[in-house]
Order: sequence, then structure tokens, then C-alpha cells
Amino acid sequence: MTSRMIVIGAGLSGLMSALALAEAGLRPLLLAKGYGTTYWTGGTIDLLASRRYPNMPLHTALTHLIVAQPEHPYARMELDGIAAAVDRFRTLTKAAGYPYVGGLERNVVLPTALGALRPTALLPATMAAGDVRLGGEILIAGFHELRDFFPPMAAANLQAQHIPARGVYLTLPDGYQRHDYSPRSFALWFEQPNFRQAIGQQLRTLRGTATRIGLPAVLGLRDPLGVVNDLQQISGAQIFEIPTLPPSVPGMRLMNIFHQAITVAGGRIQIGSEVRRGLGAEGVLTHIFSEAAAREQRHHVAACVLATGGIAGGGISTDFRGTVHETALNLPLHAPESRQAWFASRFLHTEGHPIFSAGVPTDDQFRPLDSTGHVVYANVMVAGSALLAGDPVEDRAVSGLALTTGWHVGTLLATSLPAQLAT
Amino acid sequence: MTRTQQLLQTDVLIIGGGATGLGAARDLAMRGIATILVEKGDLTHGTTGRYHGLLHSGGRYVIKDPQSATECAHENRILRKIMPQYIEATGGFFVTTPWDDPDFGDKFMQACHATDVPVQEISVDEALRREPALNPKISRVFEVEDGAADSFMSAYGIARSAREHGAQILNYHFVKGLIREGERVVAAEVEDLRTGEIKRIGATWILNAAGAWAGKIAALAGLRVDVVPGKGTMIAMNHRMVNTVINRCKMPDDGDIIVPIHTVAVIGTTDIAVPDPDVYGIEPDEVTFLMEEGEKLIPGFTRYRALRAWAGVRPLYKQEGVTDDRDLSRAYVLIDHAKRDGIDGLLSIVGGKWTTYRLMAEEIVNVVAARLGNTTPCRTAEEVIPGGEAQQLYWLGHNLAHVEQHQAFGELICECELVTREQVLDAIAQSGAANLDDIRRETRLGMGPCQGGFCTYRAAALWSEWRTARDHDVHVPYNGHGNGQHQPDASEPNDPGTELLRHFLQARWKGLTAIMWGDQLRQARLDQLIYLDTLGIDLLPDAAGEDPELVTHHPAIATEYHV
Repeated sequence: MTSRMIVIGAGLSGLMSALALAEAGLRPLLLAKGYGTTYWTGGTIDLLASRRYPNMPLHTALTHLIVAQPEHPYARMELDGIAAAVDRFRTLTKAAGYPYVGGLERNVVLPTALGALRPTALLPATMAAGDVRLGGEILIAGFHELRDFFPPMAAANLQAQHIPARGVYLTLPDGYQRHDYSPRSFALWFEQPNFRQAIGQQLRTLRGTATRIGLPAVLGLRDPLGVVNDLQQISGAQIFEIPTLPPSVPGMRLMNIFHQAITVAGGRIQIGSEVRRGLGAEGVLTHIFSEAAAREQRHHVAACVLATGGIAGGGISTDFRGTVHETALNLPLHAPESRQAWFASRFLHTEGHPIFSAGVPTDDQFRPLDSTGHVVYANVMVAGSALLAGDPVEDRAVSGLALTTGWHVGTLLATSLPAQLAT
Repeated sequence: MTRTQQLLQTDVLIIGGGATGLGAARDLAMRGIATILVEKGDLTHGTTGRYHGLLHSGGRYVIKDPQSATECAHENRILRKIMPQYIEATGGFFVTTPWDDPDFGDKFMQACHATDVPVQEISVDEALRREPALNPKISRVFEVEDGAADSFMSAYGIARSAREHGAQILNYHFVKGLIREGERVVAAEVEDLRTGEIKRIGATWILNAAGAWAGKIAALAGLRVDVVPGKGTMIAMNHRMVNTVINRCKMPDDGDIIVPIHTVAVIGTTDIAVPDPDVYGIEPDEVTFLMEEGEKLIPGFTRYRALRAWAGVRPLYKQEGVTDDRDLSRAYVLIDHAKRDGIDGLLSIVGGKWTTYRLMAEEIVNVVAARLGNTTPCRTAEEVIPGGEAQQLYWLGHNLAHVEQHQAFGELICECELVTREQVLDAIAQSGAANLDDIRRETRLGMGPCQGGFCTYRAAALWSEWRTARDHDVHVPYNGHGNGQHQPDASEPNDPGTELLRHFLQARWKGLTAIMWGDQLRQARLDQLIYLDTLGIDLLPDAAGEDPELVTHHPAIATEYHV
């Protein structure tokens, strides 16, 4: 069997790595247990909005972090590395008809489904009219049948923050009643012109003095921009999407785009293959073993990107004795010593919970290190939430960290290991 | 806050909204005696809502506490008749594991016979056929009539019945003082925690049914009741690896029982005396110990997902001369303060089990009724508690059957426990829920493996819409057409449901950290992604002022955990 470039994990970091490797002509194989956390998050790309760097534009905050935390992945990529990844992501999504707006200069602030004001660096164009700086009254509209979006609650919280808002419920047109509803079923309905027409008319009637209308992020899977444009035409107001609870329709859109791009570039994605262990010799990873249908499959490794995620993604597991474990290759981790030190006393603790900062320490080439500071495998690089990078949720950097490190590591690997790959 | 003093007068005032107090309220009301019950938290806030849910066969006490064993066996039969909708007839095994004295079984059998606790020895093969997850190395198995009881829902059922008979049940009413006139306790000064209002409730008799808090209540009248709050920690595992209650066949000890209840199996318990029933925590080594003991009964136990850990405080009455708290009797004690202390008007009842709540209520009500000259006999042993889906024993499939019959898949607010929108709205409307825990206790919302990740947001929003509709007379339809609209103005604080949500997330965390590892930790991280990353709850400003209707932070009902 010939050795391959392997990417483990199908979240944003794994997908970006696989894309970089595929575009370099290296025909990567992406192995993943499932579709990853992409389906769990709202589809915006959050680079940084940390309490540690308050009241400054995004660009300045990133610069501060790079100086203050030289071992942070962002510092290892530097601003140029971050920008390169963002550029590639923007051209990718634009080409797929699902363009993102925003960038490294400053964060855009968008209303959440709870009516909070949330900063993000990059957002799909379908969310752009949510930008709070645009002013004017906002109408938040949803459906009783979609149980994960409550317009009156979001509107009340926006009002409390001095943003004029109203929350209303829409009525499902006749013929769309079901025994159960999911975000995906709504997304498919919004692709039907009749459904859009009926909803657009209701929005027109209900909008009153509102100039913008926020809807749950379920406005179509394949052509959400078309759906938004159409609803704008009919309703006479600007339309924007608001992400809500998983499964995330924006996440599904991204997954489709990546799947297409990676496959076209010569990569392969194999979902349902959980990597359980690796085998190495003399500081080089030679094989990994995945499990599918209760059988073990052996893969000969040329080089590998570990993009399995953190505790949410399943890349890091824990047990009741307080052991913290990297699940795919059993790499050494930095984690709190004992269970007593894992948590702060409050869920919404501003410093986060220490256990969620667990991660794989790496060198500046993103290669895993052992406790003595030596590289474990020279042909393995780590990306995304598996990295030691503080608590990305507290830093509001989950998707940004995944996207940028994924691309960076993919391109790094594509350029740094010609010798091994030639064999 | 208003602090006007309101005067109420009744024949009997009961302090404590656990099983015993509620049972007494129903009994009194059924005998036509005017009754008010006050509880500082929601009903079952105390120990009733914090135990493993065992309906005792009596087996656990046959050797150490024979009187309690006989009472349990007797009441077990009665409760199955009068409140079947809250009881699952799981049956129970006492099993001899390799860590237990093999001769204990003979003593156990004899003691069961001596105390009228029905028992039969069955073969190990038969036991393993019925419970394949049990440790195959067990050597003897004794079958008893243990069951699982829903202490939350039954409390609401008893309270409903008591109200129908005329009792007033007041939750979130905190007793601040007992008022004495000479050698008689004549009234209680009570604060309504929702409004801040102080009420003086005069009563001919006051029943102190405050359980582990009975000592604190008695002290308000200058009297002494020695209650040793015995903290017991339990862990609910997200799997019914057994459908029968499993006990170790040995002297009762820590971590020797597994109770299958609803969708989970609960392992219990530890027993640590704590100085104050309001201040205790769950220690990591207690949790580790319980997990390892579980492994002895069910190999692979530690690989299941631990859902939550909690601790309750047993209301053990301290007699003279007992040194080990586990040796304190589980039997109950009725204290007539007129006889013991020369102070009339107050009776205390302490000790006992959930299983014997009805008997305890009957006994104390007999005393009170006699003194009030009421000769109506007690009917609680015969009269069935109404309510519930059907007058039959509860079984696990009830909720699913309900959802299927009503084709309510699209109406599920809590997917883990199959709680529908209608059930949540009913619970809100009936109780006027003062926090999400109230809804949880009545519906099991948020008790499943997602830790409330999805349903908490939904329930908080539904509560908020219900409140808006009530306060602004706006119809917010939930299963039909229309557009209930209320335009809040900028002077209003945050949406009220948001405070509810924030409080629930914070409070729940305390109970979760003790068992947070593996998939539970992963789930917690997903919930962080939902509430912080997607919803940005941490970015909302704090509420402008306290919402008086939300009882969330009041010190009287805050239990301090130290994890």
C-alpha cells in the first residue's frame, strides 16, 4: 500500500487542511468519525473577541495577542498567515455562491437568537443586514413550529439594549403542516418559490416601520443568497439570518462547499472512520488505524494533520479518575493535574474552566511535543481545537482558530515534506 | 418591595412541603380541619426531592432497624394502592457479591420473616436471566418488593389533592419566626419570598414537618430538637442497566444500592453528618467511591455516563448515646413539646422515610385531630390520590406513549425526557413557576443527558412568552395561528426569561461538576458552544433590577455547595 497524506477530522480545521493538501496535488484522505462540530456552530468565523483584549479593533487585538502570547497558534502564524487563510476561505465561499463579508480589521456585531450582541470577524452575506450599526427598527420573525427560535425573547433583549425591535410569529402556509419539523425541513421549504412568496407576504404585512427583518438561519441550503434576495423583494425590507441551536443550516452549507471543493481537487473524504490509534518509529508516524463497521482499517501514513477537535469535537477525552487523553494518536497533552482543578464554580465564569484549555502543545511548525519539549512525530501537525490555545470559547475564537490553523498547517505540510512524499 | 403585614388564621399550620408535611396537609384537609402549609422553597425543595427514589420493601432495615422495616413493608403495600401512578413496581434483589459475607444471607432471611418483609431466595441463574448486567460472580440472591417512586410528581399530586380538600399550600414561604404567648406557640411569621410580604399565620396547632430543618424551626420557638443532618450523595447514570432495584446483601453501607427510576439508574448513597442542612457539598472522593462500588454490582458501571450527582440530608433524630450516625434509627419520632418541654401548640415529627410518609402523617394528624375534638377517621390508607394519566402503576413507556398517541413529536421541548410544549405550559400556568427548577420538578424537563442544553433555552422562552401574555393581556398562540405582539419599551429590563435561563445554567453547574468527565464533559462543552458561542448569553447586560416574581437568589433557599 502506498503511503498517503491523511487528515483526521472533518471540522473546519480538517476541511481547510484537506483543501490545502488537495490543491497542492497531494490527494489527501480525510478520515473522520462524523461530520464534526461544523454542524454545531452558527457559520460565522470568529477570529477573536476576548475579554483580555477589550475595546480595540480586531486587528489591534490580534496584534496584541501575538505579542503577549508568543506560543499561541495565532502568534505562530502571524497576521500574514491568518490573512492568507481568511483570503482562501473568502474566495472559496464566493466561488460557491455563498460569499462571506468582513475581515481582519474589525469585528461586526450581530444579534443572536437570544438578542445578545455578538462580535464576529467574517459572516455570510445572508447575515450582513444584521449589523447593529445599520440602525432602524428590527423585526424578528420566526415560526412556532421551529422550536429553537423565539422572536419575542430576542426582541425584548434587543429593546433592553436600546435597539428598537419587535418579535412576531409567522404562520406556516397551508400544506406545510407536519408531525415534526427541523431546521433542515425549513431550509428545503425556503427553496420553494411558493413558500417564499407566502412568507414574504406575511413579512410585508407585519413589518410596519421596521427596515430590517431577522429570520432564523434556515433560509435555504443551496442558494441562501437567492432566498434572501427574493424575500427582500417581496417584503420590502432587508433580510438577515440569525444562527440558532444545532443542527446548523449554515454549517451544512459550508460542509457541502468543502466536500465539493476537496473532492474536485483530488482529495477524498471518508466519514464514519474513527481513528483509534497510530503507530510510529523513530519520531515518524508510519501507520494509523481507523475503525469502521467494527473492523480496523490500516492506513500507511506519509504525513498527517490531527484536526480532531477539543473536548467538544471528541479529540480530547476524559474519565472519572481525572485522566485526559488525546483520542486518535495518544499524543501528550497539557491539562490540569486533577479533577478538582477542572472547573470554576459558575458556568458563566469569565475566566473559563481550566479543563477546556487542555490541548496538544506544539512547536512553531505545529508539530506535537512531549513533556521534554521534543517533537513526537516529525510528520504530524496539529490544527484547530486540539491545539493548546487557551479556551477558544472564552476568546470567541473557535471557528477562526480552526479555519486559520487548518489552512496554515495544510499549506505548511504541503511545502515542508517533499522528501517523504516523493516515496 | 411591599412589606405589609397580612393576617391569616387556621386550625393547623404545617411547616415543610416535603412528603410528610404534604401528607399531613391532605390528611387534615380530608378530615375537614382548616390547614395551611408553608414551604420555603418549591415543594420537595428539601430531602423529598433529593433522594434516590426507592420505595422500600423494608429489606434494608430488617436487621438494624426492625421496626422501620415492618413499617416500610406495611406502607409499601398501601402506597401501591393509593398512588400507583407515581410508583414503578420494579421489585428488588439483595445480592451477595464476592466482597460480602456469604453467611449474611441466612440472617437476612430470618430477619425478613421476623419483620413481615416478604422475601424469597431465587437462584443466581434466575437473577442473571432477569438482570444480565449483574455481576456474574454473585453467590446468592433474595427477592423483595422494592420499587421506584417519583417523589417530585407524587408531591405535586398529594398537594393537588390536599388543595381540592380545602388546604392552602404556600410554596416560597419562609418561616422567619414562631410567636409564643406564654407557654404556647400561637403563630408563625412568614415571608412570601416572591413578594417580600410578611404574613402572620395564627394557628391552634403548628406541625413542624421540616425534616432536616426541624431543629432550626424548633429553635425559633426556643426549643431543642436534635436532628443530625445526614448527608447522602447519589449519582444518576444515564442508563437503566438494571430494571430491578439492586442491594448488596450486607449491613447497609455506602454505595450499596442501585435504583432504576424513569430513564436512569441511581447509585447511592454516602452518609456523612453535616453541621448545617443548608451548607454541604459533594466531595470528589465520594463520587469516585460510588463509581467503584457500582462496578462491584455491575461490571462496566463506570463506563456508563453519569448524568448528575446530588446530595440530600436525612432528617435523623439523635437519641441519647448513639455515636455512629448510620446507627441512628430510620424510624420516625413524634415530639409533643407540651409533654417534653411544657410548651403547647407545637408538635415536631422527625426521622422516617419517604416510604412511611403517609403513616407519619396519619399519626401526627391523629394527635392533632384528637386535641381539636375532631373524630373523623383517617382515610388516607384507602382513598386513592387522583390525577395522573391512569390509575395504574407507572411504567417507563408512559411519556413515549403519550407523545405517540398525540402525534406530538413536533411539540417536544425536552427530547431527552419527552416533555411536550403543552406539559411545560401547563406546569408554568399551574405553579406560576418561580424558576426553571419548578418546571423541572414537575415535568422532568432538563434531566436527561443533554443537561438542559436545548430545552432550557426553549422553556425559558416559553415562560417569558407566558409572562408577557399574562402581564400585557396579549395572546401569544403556541399551536395555532396569529401573531401575539407586545412591543416592549426600552425602559423594561432584560427579557424576564433570560434571567431565569441564566440562573438555571449557573445553579445547575454546581450539581454537574462533581460528575463531569467523559461524555458529560463533552456535553457541557457543547452547551457552552450553544449558550456562549451561538447565543452569547454572557454578552447580555445584567438585568436592570431584580424581578420580584423570580425566586432565584434568596438566601433562605440557597444551598451552598462546595465542590
